[in-house]
Amino acid sequence: MDKIKRLDFTLLGKLLKDIEKPGRYINNEIGTKSKNPGTVKDFHDLILMALVFPDIYEVGMSNLGLQILYDIINKHECFSAERVFSPWIDFEEKLRRQKVKIFSLENRIFLDSFDLIGFTVQHELLYTNILNILDVGGISIRTRDRRNRFPLVCAGGPAIVNPQPLSRFMDFFVIGDGEEVVISILQRVKKYRDNKKEKQWFLKEISKLDGVYIPEFYKFFYYPDGRIEKIEPEKKVKKALIKDLNEFEIVQDPIIPNIKAVHDRFAVEIMRGCSRGCRFCQAGITYRPVRKREVGSLIRQSIAGLKKTGHDEISFLSLSSSDYKDIGHLLEKITGLSKPGRLSVSMPSMRLDSLNLKLFELIQSGRKTGLTFAPEAGSQRMRNIINKTIEEKEMLDCIKMAFSSGWEKIKLYFMIGLPYENDKDIDGITLLVEKIIMSAKERLSGKKLARLKINISINAFCPKPFTPFQWAAHDDTENLDRKFDFILKNVSKRYVNINWADSRKSRIECALARGNDRVGEVIEKAWKNGARFDNWTDFFKLSVWEEGFEKAGLDIGLFTRNFSEDEVLPWDIIDIGVSKEFLLKEYDRAKECLRNQDKI
Amino acid sequence: MTEQKNVYETRIRFKFYKKDEFKYLSHLDISRIMIRAIRRAGLEIKYSQGYNPKPKIGFSPPTPLGVESMAEYADVLLDGDIDDGAFKKKLNLELKPQMQISEVKKITEKTGNLMNTVSLVLYGFELYMCSSDNEDLLKRFHTGLKEDLITRSDFSHSIFDLNIIPLKGISDIILLKLLGYAKIFKEENNEIFKFNNFYEYFENWLKQYCLNIKDVKKEELFVMSGSVLKTPMEIV
Repeated sequence: MDKIKRLDFTLLGKLLKDIEKPGRYINNEIGTKSKNPGTVKDFHDLILMALVFPDIYEVGMSNLGLQILYDIINKHECFSAERVFSPWIDFEEKLRRQKVKIFSLENRIFLDSFDLIGFTVQHELLYTNILNILDVGGISIRTRDRRNRFPLVCAGGPAIVNPQPLSRFMDFFVIGDGEEVVISILQRVKKYRDNKKEKQWFLKEISKLDGVYIPEFYKFFYYPDGRIEKIEPEKKVKKALIKDLNEFEIVQDPIIPNIKAVHDRFAVEIMRGCSRGCRFCQAGITYRPVRKREVGSLIRQSIAGLKKTGHDEISFLSLSSSDYKDIGHLLEKITGLSKPGRLSVSMPSMRLDSLNLKLFELIQSGRKTGLTFAPEAGSQRMRNIINKTIEEKEMLDCIKMAFSSGWEKIKLYFMIGLPYENDKDIDGITLLVEKIIMSAKERLSGKKLARLKINISINAFCPKPFTPFQWAAHDDTENLDRKFDFILKNVSKRYVNINWADSRKSRIECALARGNDRVGEVIEKAWKNGARFDNWTDFFKLSVWEEGFEKAGLDIGLFTRNFSEDEVLPWDIIDIGVSKEFLLKEYDRAKECLRNQDKI
Repeated sequence: MTEQKNVYETRIRFKFYKKDEFKYLSHLDISRIMIRAIRRAGLEIKYSQGYNPKPKIGFSPPTPLGVESMAEYADVLLDGDIDDGAFKKKLNLELKPQMQISEVKKITEKTGNLMNTVSLVLYGFELYMCSSDNEDLLKRFHTGLKEDLITRSDFSHSIFDLNIIPLKGISDIILLKLLGYAKIFKEENNEIFKFNNFYEYFENWLKQYCLNIKDVKKEELFVMSGSVLKTPMEIV
């Protein structure tokens, strides 16, 4: 391969002058594992992979998936992975002005010197950042303009279950669990490079692997109205699946960020998948089946990890941690490790009820920071429709108990614009909040009542691929704003803070999530017009996106409408492990307002 | 009771540096990194009592972002009895080469906390001249330093002394080492010396002598002890 090009340290110093949070770009954290040209004899023989997280350092370093892949790749003697994050606006400007390509953190290798560039994509509003990083890396964004054999460019991660909107930019995609397939791919990259094979040979080889989707092997045929007529060939790509999580130890010596990450803690995945089956939830389907870690080794590895990192917070992650059957035992063991107040334990996805409130007190060890509930909908009817099995009485009981034992901060998550929603359901949200305030008045004394804070976060529902609601329409912006205004008017401001996620942003998110391969052109146009960091409200510009759709000759409505149940969907080419028939059956049940209590 | 308690805890003052890449880390980042390293080293920091217990560790005043420092100090209260040599060795194993402990001393007598007692900071500026053969310009620079900077500038209260030490062995670019004592706390009007303001002013001021700042380092801290300046290590 060509000589590996690296950025010189003195140049880095010049680049970092007057840059916000320069610590984002300096590497040298505890726990970095990339191989070093100074210590590895045949550095040039290694297959170099850039693991790119298309958001800023603080966000990317809080992602467990990135740490897992980084660890697995770097344990392999033939491969080395280095990290790349989105440069913040000021640093991007500096790089472009000084004509310096973006580089990896570890050895400051320029992005275009890597053999393989892999993006890990958490959500759709990061798509423009991906194009931006390729461009700042001096790499053509479109696959067909990249004539050289290297670098190869791929993407994986939760948003990639519908790869179509990015298909013109990627050589291939990885769907599903990355732990095993990333090594299989890198082994083939090595053969491709060492034996100087053709790119077609390489793509054919990796297409045999579960989880690998190669856009150029498929052809999409469209009706004049923009719907898909058929996809050829019809053979689906099966997602990559790790059957037993226990075969992969948790990363006990992760990279410890030098600057404060969004989640500054030792993260432990206790379970992958969720058996709840909420009908709006994409992760709940795409991460199936439920796989649990064995509690004994989990405890051992957690203790080892805390020792190795020196972290004072441990976080147990899964989609629904209170469903992990040994959770009590696990928490008891971990909280018992140190003196009270020294170690905090967090469980972001805990479903609160009166039973596990005690557990929650245990992990908070006296500090009552705040309780979070996600009823998602205000009325029982609506909660049945979305299959969110949470009873109002149970929730109110739990909240009352919480007030009695001293909590004063409550956070509630709701969605509006759900399928079959009517004004009564919206009113249900205000009524529920009223009831919570009533409970507070009942349980809290004057001084405490004055401090009461109920934070309500309201999001517009965004239908996502591979959910029973994948066919549903995204609610009109006007409708959403009207519903939100209603809530705003009818909720007592005395105790309540309302946080509203922009419905316009959610509309674009929906179009990107359910987009076909033509949406790639929209992304490209929006990016060229300055779109990046679209998830940041300050940067999101609706007009840029609207213009992008217009210039591409596409109607946003085509992607936000009600899809018909027999139509070919852009993501039909992926076999996520749950059949379309099951999703359709669930969608029908939602219509009948039936709650599906079957668990898998 | 209190006598007995002292056996089980050790109060330590240590000095460390942050250089190269680590000069881009903020004061808060540095303290977080240090606390974690202490935990990894298997040393137990004592915590404060109360509702929200905090580790008993205190640092010297912050160094501006982007400035290397050879003189960062911290006081820590540890559980158990630990020897200063072992403390340094254990902790340095858990720290990156860009940030290492250089000196350790047990604190046996009561001392004020570092944040409040430090009264002077010594910064070292390395300067280089674009045109090398202008003897006259250099002379004017010497005079200018005293007149403009020490007597007439907004920073005249802050700058305690200036020393110029020519750097040896370099002929094509003239390198000067300028040592500026900068008072950071407790000025007459209780104003804090703002390093970044000074840096900006100084950089502009240097332009008239065709000089640029090549490098700047925090070199030492001083505490007033009686009427004598001493380093934080000298007073424990």
